[in-house]
Amino acid sequence: MAAWDLSVTVEELGPQAPPLKISVTSDLHIGGVILKVVEKSQIQRDWSDHALWWEQKQQWLLKPSWTLDKCGIHADARLCLTSQHKPLRLRLPSGITFRLRACFSSPVFRSVTGICKLLNIRHPEELSLLWPVEEKKRKKEKDVEEELYDITRAPLPSSSIPKLANGMPAFFAEAAETEAVYKMLAVSQPAPAPETIAKLYRTTNITEKAHINSRWLDSSRSLLQQGVRENDKLILRFKYYTFHDIAPQADAVRVTQLYEQARWAVLLEETECTEEEMMVFAALQYHIGKVSLMEQFVTSCPAMEDLDSALQCLEVKMEGESSADDMLETMTAPELHDYLKIFRPKRLTLKGYKQYWFTFKETTISYFKSKEESCKEPIQQMSLKGCEVAPDVSVAGQKFCIRLLIPGPEGMNEVYLRCEHEQQYSRWMAACRLASKGKTLADSSFSSEVQSIQSFLAMQKTTPSTNTAQTDESINTHSLVSPRYQKKYKPKQLTPRILEAYQNVAQLSLTDAIQRFLQIWQALPDFGLAYVVVRFKGCRKDEVLGIANNRLIRIDLSVGDVVKTWRYNTMRQWNVNWDIKQVAIEFDGNVNIAFSCVTADCKIVHEYIGGYIFMSTRGREQSNTLNEELFHKLTGGHEAL
Amino acid sequence: MLRRSCSARLKSLPFDVVVRTFSSLHDLEDNDLDALMADLVADISATEEKFATEKDTLKGSAPIAPIPSQPRDNFSLPASTDTSRHGTSSNSTAAPPPPPASKPSKEELEEQIKADKIKLALEKLKEAKVKKLVVKVEIMDGSSKTLMVDERQTVRDVIDNLFEKTHCDCNVDWCVCETNPDLQTERGFEDHENLVEPLSTWTRDTENKVLFQEKKDKYGVFRNPQNFYLWKKDKKSLKDMKEKDKEQLLEENFCGASVIVPDLEGILYLKEDGKKSWKQRYFLLRASGLYYSPKGKTKASRDLVCLVQFDNVNVYYCKEYRIKYKAPTDHCFILKHPQIQKESQYIKYLCCDDEWTMTLWVTGIRIAKYGKQLYDNYKAAVRKAAGSATWANRSLQASSSASTPSPTPKARAANGHAPQPAVETKGSSNQTFFPPPPPSMETLPPPPPDPMMPPPPLAPPSATKVNKFPPPPQFPQSSFPPPPMDDLPPPPPPLEDSELPPDFLPPPPPIFSSCGGEALPPPPPDPIASLPPPPPAPQNFASAGGAPPPPPPPPPPPAPAPAANKPAGSIRKVAPPPPKRTTPQLAAPSGGDLMSELMTAMQKKRTQ
Repeated sequence: MAAWDLSVTVEELGPQAPPLKISVTSDLHIGGVILKVVEKSQIQRDWSDHALWWEQKQQWLLKPSWTLDKCGIHADARLCLTSQHKPLRLRLPSGITFRLRACFSSPVFRSVTGICKLLNIRHPEELSLLWPVEEKKRKKEKDVEEELYDITRAPLPSSSIPKLANGMPAFFAEAAETEAVYKMLAVSQPAPAPETIAKLYRTTNITEKAHINSRWLDSSRSLLQQGVRENDKLILRFKYYTFHDIAPQADAVRVTQLYEQARWAVLLEETECTEEEMMVFAALQYHIGKVSLMEQFVTSCPAMEDLDSALQCLEVKMEGESSADDMLETMTAPELHDYLKIFRPKRLTLKGYKQYWFTFKETTISYFKSKEESCKEPIQQMSLKGCEVAPDVSVAGQKFCIRLLIPGPEGMNEVYLRCEHEQQYSRWMAACRLASKGKTLADSSFSSEVQSIQSFLAMQKTTPSTNTAQTDESINTHSLVSPRYQKKYKPKQLTPRILEAYQNVAQLSLTDAIQRFLQIWQALPDFGLAYVVVRFKGCRKDEVLGIANNRLIRIDLSVGDVVKTWRYNTMRQWNVNWDIKQVAIEFDGNVNIAFSCVTADCKIVHEYIGGYIFMSTRGREQSNTLNEELFHKLTGGHEAL
Repeated sequence: MLRRSCSARLKSLPFDVVVRTFSSLHDLEDNDLDALMADLVADISATEEKFATEKDTLKGSAPIAPIPSQPRDNFSLPASTDTSRHGTSSNSTAAPPPPPASKPSKEELEEQIKADKIKLALEKLKEAKVKKLVVKVEIMDGSSKTLMVDERQTVRDVIDNLFEKTHCDCNVDWCVCETNPDLQTERGFEDHENLVEPLSTWTRDTENKVLFQEKKDKYGVFRNPQNFYLWKKDKKSLKDMKEKDKEQLLEENFCGASVIVPDLEGILYLKEDGKKSWKQRYFLLRASGLYYSPKGKTKASRDLVCLVQFDNVNVYYCKEYRIKYKAPTDHCFILKHPQIQKESQYIKYLCCDDEWTMTLWVTGIRIAKYGKQLYDNYKAAVRKAAGSATWANRSLQASSSASTPSPTPKARAANGHAPQPAVETKGSSNQTFFPPPPPSMETLPPPPPDPMMPPPPLAPPSATKVNKFPPPPQFPQSSFPPPPMDDLPPPPPPLEDSELPPDFLPPPPPIFSSCGGEALPPPPPDPIASLPPPPPAPQNFASAGGAPPPPPPPPPPPAPAPAANKPAGSIRKVAPPPPKRTTPQLAAPSGGDLMSELMTAMQKKRTQ
């Protein structure tokens, strides 16, 4: 057989080096080609990760036993011997950028699986990669070099990655720096400065939201095939909004990153919410930020949690076996006594605040003319169970009022209590809060409630002009809400509203608070909708298709109203005509729809629908092995067939 | 239309720490009193039993021969509260323990006894804090039931209790509702709620009632979720939805990380604050609250105005608001704080075009407020309904004479009237073990006539009976094992127990001579031979409540009705009573006042 010359570029020889010419015959297999090239290059190194890339055809030659003839390679082919794993700059949902080695030769689906394995994120099928938004405008400004966490030295994900007891991949434990890096992954980030939020790209309407979805990479093709180069920047994100089997213990990184994605979706108004909901989100962010800071010192490893639960168990036991004296003690509940001022706006007279001697017992406030008369009948008793408590505080003006809305048969009675100073206020406020929930002063949460009120007061003291990110106790409330509300309210106005929402979450543990955040986020009507601008068959105007985990919705682009909903479980089949780029779907009852995609490739839409159907097949079988084949079957399109 | 006695009355037992009496116990009808007594007796003996078992386990190192349940039952009943009261008064030296061989020293034992007594006293103090209400529940057929509800009981417990008392079909739609005639509202309590708390906030002179009725919309959303979650679709396609699809809908909306609220939106009328007019607004329901979009704004989330959040309010159906408030239609609902009982600016009044829209919104709001709890309630209700259905069938097939009392003292005391008092039901987490509701009246053995007392005239609750609703069995009062002083005073065997060597089986200890050897129960008498003693004078009892004088010679235990005894044995095989130790117990230690009042009431009835 005639021998001919094949030119192969070897990356390791440098960019300027001319391609090596090797003499081959058509029946030489790919493995033989690589061997020859390596010999010729005279470089001693580990070549196991290298493979041949065919530049003209933009494809990998990954089957070593195939002959050149079978691959269709002739003398004009330009091949390149290059490593399959290359460094990539990856932006995580938390906004932190990592530099790590990802597989450039396998389908993106498997590359993502590898990345997730490296970062210890379970259920990689829910995530995918997308191109970042083009940063034209900001290039003009002084581009501050982003902090980058380099973990390219980690072992390749193809090998098995040993894990420590707490789930942390072992390589993170090698040095103190890498351990710190893992913490960046597993602990939520402090609240960003308000300017950071305002500066980031925000989608303002549904069309812009639809454009985000045009940036997803194709899961069935490799990174290199899709034009990703070494050291390019990509975003890793949760793509399919069905979060399977979340276990806070095993999913430290996953849950944290999910929370970060949710938080940014709220802050950047990707998932829209009402003002009330925003305040709850803000309160939760504040709480999560605070608790994570505290818990950073106590590494959250399972062993510790075991210890915690063991301690709790012990506590319960002790309670159960408490001696008679203890029982007597717990039955004499603590009380609060003080001179406070009261004001009832309902009475039409304008007499203002009057001072009385107040006692707080169980869940009831009583007041007397003076301390000396406290043994007599009180002037009035107010049971606070089920009442609404709101702060009316101005630290600068030294005004510490508690506004109570006490329900009675006739309606709600409005009462203001005025305290002299912060200490007094925080104790009475905490007592009122607990009482409104039916808890007494004896409740174990009392002291932490007092503390959280004080820290919130401290928040008011810091001048809002300093735009620092969350440090220890002080925080600018503007960094907890979206720019819309930054504009609408001053921090002074925002603080009491967040505080109000904070009452209901202040006692949550870190995991519970994150779970609560995710729950509220998932209950939003807009949650989990991926938008694509489409043109329905026979229609003249663009419309929006919303793709969710259980349904497709058709949205009127001009009004924003949902026109129609189709559920997947009534779906018979869907087809893609790749030539005319049209998706056709048939539903039960002879309902047929067809549309072409305007803002995104129809492969993206196809992958979304197929992906969600794949996600719904998971829960049934308990095995943890990922059915990659099924995923590609459902999402691959013509290439998979 | 309603008889005076039918209006719901709440009676609070005086041994509540918070004494709230809506009307006197004297107004109670005989059968009410009977039922009440049954509950009380059950409570008390349950507490005692708990103590006994607790003791057993506390001491339990040596091979303890647990006191056989039968004998213990028998003499635990007559043992009176006095014994325990005696204990609380720290008069412990009065009972020197027998020095048993190979046992801890006398001092140690004494110490132990003392500690136990203090513990008992404290426990009772705690129990005394438990608030209880006597609630009259009106049933659709016009009859009513009176039962005691303790603040730890959930509505589910109360419903179960009512199932047993009314012999209805126990389906999931049965619902305890409250009505408010001032506001013309009605609300079904959710199964997980506590009943005592909302009822305690009623005003003194309230006309509010508690009803027990079937409500289709209580769990309608779980039977036909498509009507709520796919309400925008045309009705025809929803009607014949497959069960599988319904299940999937429930799975999607109730079993995920967060409960999804139906995406209700549409025009409702809102009564303007303090005005008579109703204004149309476009409302949207979200998990976080009820919103409307102000005029000229879009429906986008950011523009929505929150009318109300659900943390502190409940949703109520309203009646005839067209007349009362000039509402556009009669399909109105309001949102208010449960404590508000009268018209107020703090109430949000809403009006819908038709009944279905109203059901849709009210149900949606309930889902938003209670979330997954609602679904859990439903599943529990379904299990319960299925359980009781099979039970009913089985017991009917098994024996026609089977009556349900379980072989516990309380059941005997109840004498078939209230075989399963609510306290029992409360703790038994194992729902399936539930004893069947008493079969219909024919299968019940007739109560043994008591020769001692002529039966007072019966006051049947209602003249008309609905077929579906078998009337509750009416026993002549005499069938009730005579009066409190026999059964009521809680028998604390613990005291005696602690002084006994563990292997000492029947306790005829002579130790108690100092405080009256008579206080010890005689051996269980022959049930048929023994006759109930004449009731002692009420004031006797009342005085016993205050101080610890030597207790009156307790009569022998009441004659257990032979009829009730027989089935007890047969039932035991079928339905073992739930483990005692798990049940939260009640004690009525400071019950002197209540007891005396009850006594007087009973006495009055009897002398009539």
